[in-house]
Amino acid sequence: MRVPLSWLREYANPSASATEIAERLSISTCEVERVVRRGVPDTDGNLGRFRVGRVLSAEKHPNADRLQLCVVDVGGAQQQIVCGAWNFSAGATVAVALPGATLPNGLTLESRKLRGELSEGMILAEDEVDLGSDHDGIMLLDPSLAPGTPLADVLPLVEDVLDVETTPNRPDLLSIYGLAREVAALFDVALAPWPGVEPPKTGDEEIPIQVDDPDGCPRFVGRLFRDVALAPSPVWLKARITAAGMRPISNVVDITNYVMLALGSPLHAYDYTTLAGGRIVVRRAHEGETIRTLDGQDRKLVPADLLIADAERAIGIAGIMGGEETEVADTTTTVLLETANFEPVTIMHSSERLGLRSEASNRWEKGVDPHGAGHAARLASQLLAELAGGRWVGENDVQAALPEPARIELRPAHTSELLGLDVTADEQRAILGSLGFGVDGDTVTVPSWRARDVTREADLIEEVARFELDAVPFTLPARREAVGRLTRSQQLRRTVEDVLVGCGLCEAYTPSLVDRDPDTDALRLRLPLSNDQSVLRTTLLPSLLAAAERNRDVGNDDVALFEIARVYLPSGAPLPTERWRVAGVVEGGYADAKGVVDALLATLGAPLAVERGSHPLFHPGKTGVLPQGWVGEVHPAVATGWAAFELDLAELDASRPQRVLYEDVISFPSVLQDLAFVVADDVAAADLVAAMREAAGPELRDVAVFDEYRSEQIGAGKRSLAFRVAFGSPERTLTDADATALRERIVTALAARFGAELRA
Amino acid sequence: MDASALQKQALDEIAAAGTLGALDDARVKFLGRKSELKLALRDVRDRETGMALNAVREAVEQAVEAKQAELERAELDRTIAEDRVDVTMPGVRHRRGHLHLVTQVRREVEDIFVGMGYDVLDGREVETTRYLFDALNMSPNHPTRSPLHTFYVGEDAVLRSETSPSQIHAMESKPPPIYVVSLGRCYRRDTPDTTHYPIFHQVEGLVVDRGITLADLKGTLRTLLRQLFGAERDAKFVTHFFPFTEPSVEVLVSCFQCNGAGCPMCRHSGWIEIGGSGMVDPNVLRFVGYDPEEVSGFAFGWGLERMAILRHGLPDIRDLWADDLRFLRQF
Repeated sequence: MRVPLSWLREYANPSASATEIAERLSISTCEVERVVRRGVPDTDGNLGRFRVGRVLSAEKHPNADRLQLCVVDVGGAQQQIVCGAWNFSAGATVAVALPGATLPNGLTLESRKLRGELSEGMILAEDEVDLGSDHDGIMLLDPSLAPGTPLADVLPLVEDVLDVETTPNRPDLLSIYGLAREVAALFDVALAPWPGVEPPKTGDEEIPIQVDDPDGCPRFVGRLFRDVALAPSPVWLKARITAAGMRPISNVVDITNYVMLALGSPLHAYDYTTLAGGRIVVRRAHEGETIRTLDGQDRKLVPADLLIADAERAIGIAGIMGGEETEVADTTTTVLLETANFEPVTIMHSSERLGLRSEASNRWEKGVDPHGAGHAARLASQLLAELAGGRWVGENDVQAALPEPARIELRPAHTSELLGLDVTADEQRAILGSLGFGVDGDTVTVPSWRARDVTREADLIEEVARFELDAVPFTLPARREAVGRLTRSQQLRRTVEDVLVGCGLCEAYTPSLVDRDPDTDALRLRLPLSNDQSVLRTTLLPSLLAAAERNRDVGNDDVALFEIARVYLPSGAPLPTERWRVAGVVEGGYADAKGVVDALLATLGAPLAVERGSHPLFHPGKTGVLPQGWVGEVHPAVATGWAAFELDLAELDASRPQRVLYEDVISFPSVLQDLAFVVADDVAAADLVAAMREAAGPELRDVAVFDEYRSEQIGAGKRSLAFRVAFGSPERTLTDADATALRERIVTALAARFGAELRA
Repeated sequence: MDASALQKQALDEIAAAGTLGALDDARVKFLGRKSELKLALRDVRDRETGMALNAVREAVEQAVEAKQAELERAELDRTIAEDRVDVTMPGVRHRRGHLHLVTQVRREVEDIFVGMGYDVLDGREVETTRYLFDALNMSPNHPTRSPLHTFYVGEDAVLRSETSPSQIHAMESKPPPIYVVSLGRCYRRDTPDTTHYPIFHQVEGLVVDRGITLADLKGTLRTLLRQLFGAERDAKFVTHFFPFTEPSVEVLVSCFQCNGAGCPMCRHSGWIEIGGSGMVDPNVLRFVGYDPEEVSGFAFGWGLERMAILRHGLPDIRDLWADDLRFLRQF
């Protein structure tokens, strides 16, 4: 919301600068995004070059049909000015910018000849000094003003505007008066009484108002005005609503907007003669009912929408936007002014469903004070009478029982305890009092404009807290028994990350939401932002592989990525089973990915148990499955030149030892031997290793494949695998004879089980 | 035989040996089997002569050893004198990986809080509306409940829009005191742009204990900011609104780019918004069965991406999800 400071100062006027007010509001009330100075630049005496002028003569320019040649008294001097407007003549009181004056748009005026005639300055239209949007003619000022009067004394040529962002719990701040209340309290200055004085009521005409849905509309005030003269608003009013970010339209519409901005309670004006039956019905929409709203759009309504209707049809969507057929127009002379109160949820849902947001709906959906309708009616009536000549001839105030103000007990000592700052009971009461709370000892009565937000003691404490926020000290909790550490699985994630980084892989973050997943039961978003991100993935591999391919496509070298993230496995229950997974993609073949898996499991001390397996993304002959997941070469039909793995972290955690027990591997050195066996191609190395361990028992300390060899001599369909074995015992040094015996057991076992021949 | 004269002669000749060959000649001459000394030792008959001759032998042997070492070292120095490399050439290449920037920030935040005695929680990402909304004191009509703001995967199943549900689980699982931070992926239905991505990471902290104050919140969060952004940083707290805290405050850090002088990074205010926080609403405490008369607490929830973006000057949050190695390898 944009808050012209001169307007705010009409209600609360501390001796503080715009910046100081913004700073204080920011800490205690609401965010002030910025302070914008608008209007005429106030530098180097520029303001002094804007004066009130009296037109002494105005005639057609001798060389131009569309221009007037004027002589203007600007106080002690007469200036000849060429002007393009025709809405005035000699005797008019006007606003003049003298040569040297800089306009808000940055243009600096000079004396110069226009079509052969000297023009010393400019007679101003409102848009030229940021006071409105009208450029149809120049501004006509109050004739009682003396020529030469500084224009800044008469019009708000310079305005500081606070751009505030309020929180949804504070609809009372969506009004200049509400913000002024905060400013008054924060700076300890007086708050002006509610603005508006009732004009005389000159009639007692009946206005039939029927509220069918008092829950949706707890209050509806209708006031009738006759003899209204629609016209442009005076400059001061245009200036205020323009500075507040709205566009002036006509005096009646501007008054409704002005009062909404001033008091936060939205209003609407109907041309009363257009209302069928001259009556108002507040009801829910009928199935299939439609309305053309003020913005010219035809809207389809549903029975959840609350409407303002006349005897026959909808004339407005309550709290959101009025209808086109009943809006005030140039010909309007009889105005029905609506100041009502609507229940927030209805407005919020209708506004969201229709995709229609307005200044009014923004306020209603946060909850507007039902008592505000009365204040708004009073101020609007005063202005309709003063500015549009309206005669107030009737009123109907239909209201359900409005809620009683809440009473809350304040415990000042409790407040101080929770803040960690001593604030005396008197100080606390003073803060609440200055904000309009009723304070009677420790019993606090909540003002109607805060009724939704303040219902409990905690809410009162917040009022004190926000005023004392800067004074609250910085402390750390007095700790009793909390000890922090990462859990085992959190430490595992870090270890995995570190090992993979050590193996040269870079960590990627890919979206958990994918376009499709191999698991057809994978959870789908009901309302995704895009198809690309519509399914909760059950595997990390496709996203990671896509990231790897993107890297190769842009020419990045040595592509190797990993990711640790959740997958979401359908469980049959509403919530999926979430598992942490680690996946990696590297350039190359099976062995490149397998090497990373080997390193990872070795670091964790987890046994490596890979078997031939299958995985939809992997080459059918180059896929390993292990208890923790998969490793494989990516299927050439999917992408070429990649190998990858995906492992489950809980399984990894389960497969590593809880703690490593000491074994003496130093005192009695191992005996090392190299053994090469010729076996059929389909015998897996891991099966040979397992058989060797089984045959030799615990004295086979270590065994590893170090060579694979094929040749004609060995024969087709066969290969030679060379192993380095380490024999050893924790109790004694093995003799050559011991080692020979162990070796023999291995050779015999492999020959028997796999037909393996020991190579010489 | 004059033992001392022999010793002197031997030592002189050893000292004079300029090459290993010359030294070996001297060794043979004075210590060889047929050397005068060895022959004399063989013929020793009395203890005194024996001791004297052995002393000479030891001295000569030591001198030979020392000289040998000296000459070998000189020889080595000679041979490597011309052996040099261009020390500025790159070393043998080892492929090197990198942690994602958000992981680096996450670890830093985790370590700061573990250091202050907090536990780290990993909550679910797919939650029930009960834990995401009801437990957090959000009214039935709170806009965040709208499917336009939060992703639904079922009637009551949602992708968490913040990590707070894990704090409810934590409080339900044990009585106070609670000192926890929860970090992880969150989801909001935000159209991607330079500052938004529908998936992001949050760190939320929660403390519930006897006598926890707003001052504790201010002190803890200033500590975090100083750890992350530098010891000279200031923290500012301004009022805000969240359904699950009362009072609620937004935290700002003094701009580390301009030190408060005003720059584009802080939008010329000298302060940078970091995130929300507040004292845990009594309704939230009651929801989990805690007594707000007995304990109080504070909570905060900040974005890890925002911390990374601010600290490292990233122009676009989407860079963190592009997984381009040229980007990843910068950090």
